[in-house]
Amino acid sequence: MNVVASEWIKLRGVRSTYWTLLIAAGTAIGLSIVLAYAFATPPSKAGQTPPDPLLAGFASLEYAVLAVGVLGALTFTSEYSTGLIRTTFAAVPRRGVVLAAKAAVVAAVTLVIGELAAWVSFFADQTILNGHHLGVALSQPGVPGAVLADGLLLCVCALLGLGLGALIRHTAGAVAAVAGVLYLPALLQALPAPWNDRFGRFTLITAAEQVTRHQPSLTQFAPAISLVVLLAWPAAAVAGAALVITRRDA
Amino acid sequence: MIETQELSKHFGSVAAVTDLSFAVRPGHVTGFLGPNGAGKTTTMRLILGLDTPTSGRALIGGRPYRAIVRPLRQVGALLDASAVHPGRTAFVHLWSIARSNGIGRARVAEMLQLTGLEAVADRRLKGFSLGMKQRLGIATALLGDPAVLVFDEPVNGLDTEGIRWLRQLFKTLAAEGRTILVSSHLMSEMALTADHLVIIGRGRLIADTAVDKLIDASAHRDVLVRSPRAADLRALLAEHGARVADEPDGALAVTGSTAPAIGDLAAAHGIAVHELTPRHASLEAAYMELTSDSTDFRTAKETPA
Repeated sequence: MNVVASEWIKLRGVRSTYWTLLIAAGTAIGLSIVLAYAFATPPSKAGQTPPDPLLAGFASLEYAVLAVGVLGALTFTSEYSTGLIRTTFAAVPRRGVVLAAKAAVVAAVTLVIGELAAWVSFFADQTILNGHHLGVALSQPGVPGAVLADGLLLCVCALLGLGLGALIRHTAGAVAAVAGVLYLPALLQALPAPWNDRFGRFTLITAAEQVTRHQPSLTQFAPAISLVVLLAWPAAAVAGAALVITRRDA
Repeated sequence: MIETQELSKHFGSVAAVTDLSFAVRPGHVTGFLGPNGAGKTTTMRLILGLDTPTSGRALIGGRPYRAIVRPLRQVGALLDASAVHPGRTAFVHLWSIARSNGIGRARVAEMLQLTGLEAVADRRLKGFSLGMKQRLGIATALLGDPAVLVFDEPVNGLDTEGIRWLRQLFKTLAAEGRTILVSSHLMSEMALTADHLVIIGRGRLIADTAVDKLIDASAHRDVLVRSPRAADLRALLAEHGARVADEPDGALAVTGSTAPAIGDLAAAHGIAVHELTPRHASLEAAYMELTSDSTDFRTAKETPA
């Protein structure tokens, strides 16, 4: 617990934490409201299906995640770039404990901010959509789970950034790697069908979209499997970091 | 007590440290000397468990560093004073490190006071000078009141008053029975601070000795003689088996004889002597002599002293 407390003091002690969280929450809520207004206009052509009522909440998060990816990466890269990591590892030679403490602190903060943003977005979006009879009620099956999953997405991407930050050690490289993972669906979309979907469903963002929809897509993995795919990304990054940092010279 | 046993560290084909064995005993300030690139910092990183040795081991109190629970309470270290997050305040920086080893806020405040930083405790570190960061690094090292202290080039960036304060601090800490290892590439600094020296060059041990013994062992001892009849005196001294070298200003540097013998000899032949000074090698010269073969980056042509 000492190490967790130490990492909590470190995280609170720098301005970048507040900026990245503010940008993440602001983007998630603000953009979802803009999107909800856009989706609330009636379909121009008869027979066109309206967008998924939960899409505004998710689509805005697609942009917010980069900010927390940076936050996660910085927890390690800021220490590697300054050399502070040696002080940290001298104080706590069990490096796995340092990794776990950093991950716990970043996960807790981004989960709280993420859920907050997701639920505020949800209620704001549905109020706007309901004005055009396009919204969903929280009581409908699948809706609470989907909104909770929205809130989880910031935490997932922050941990992805943290793992990649520990592996890559440079802020720019780690952020580029996070962005690469996030934009992977767009790249895979260029593949010929059906390979675009077959590979695409393994990407973080596609998996996240599937678990946050009111009507899951039938061409993708089932939401439960998509949730596993979603969680596997940060788990792999953090596990890789655990393997490498204990072996590498600081 | 710090101990290295046949410690080696290779980075690819470069041998940074080779078969290094020495012990640093409590109650003394031990200077860790070597030219730039000799392997001092690498050795200190190996001692602190930051790098893994290629072979051999480094022990503190008989245990490898990584086996120590709450190591800040046993070992304090200052490796790189600039290794701080510029956005954190001095207090938060220290407090975060202290907290990881269960050290309280009161001790953090105490260390800020000891190092003269309490007035700037709430300022962000980006505004700190190198000297202030050195003080912060020393505060960090002392947080856990450790019995073993390791400092890498701690006087860098300190002003004269700071250097004097640090020397006194080292002596006080050593007098309390602590084990203190201080690295430097400047013998002149170590001459004033350390009472024992471990000297390395190109990653190998050159000397492990007390400061005064190092001076005694040096070959550089001579007598400086100044005379209006230098040429005559030189011939006379050579006849009597002494070796004479010319100083740039016309004086003679005599080895193989003593000041009284030279004075008597000159008097017996009616040669006036204006100066007769026995010279001990400075620690600096003894050090240069020891490390002259092991300097990695030497100026192509040595300028005459």
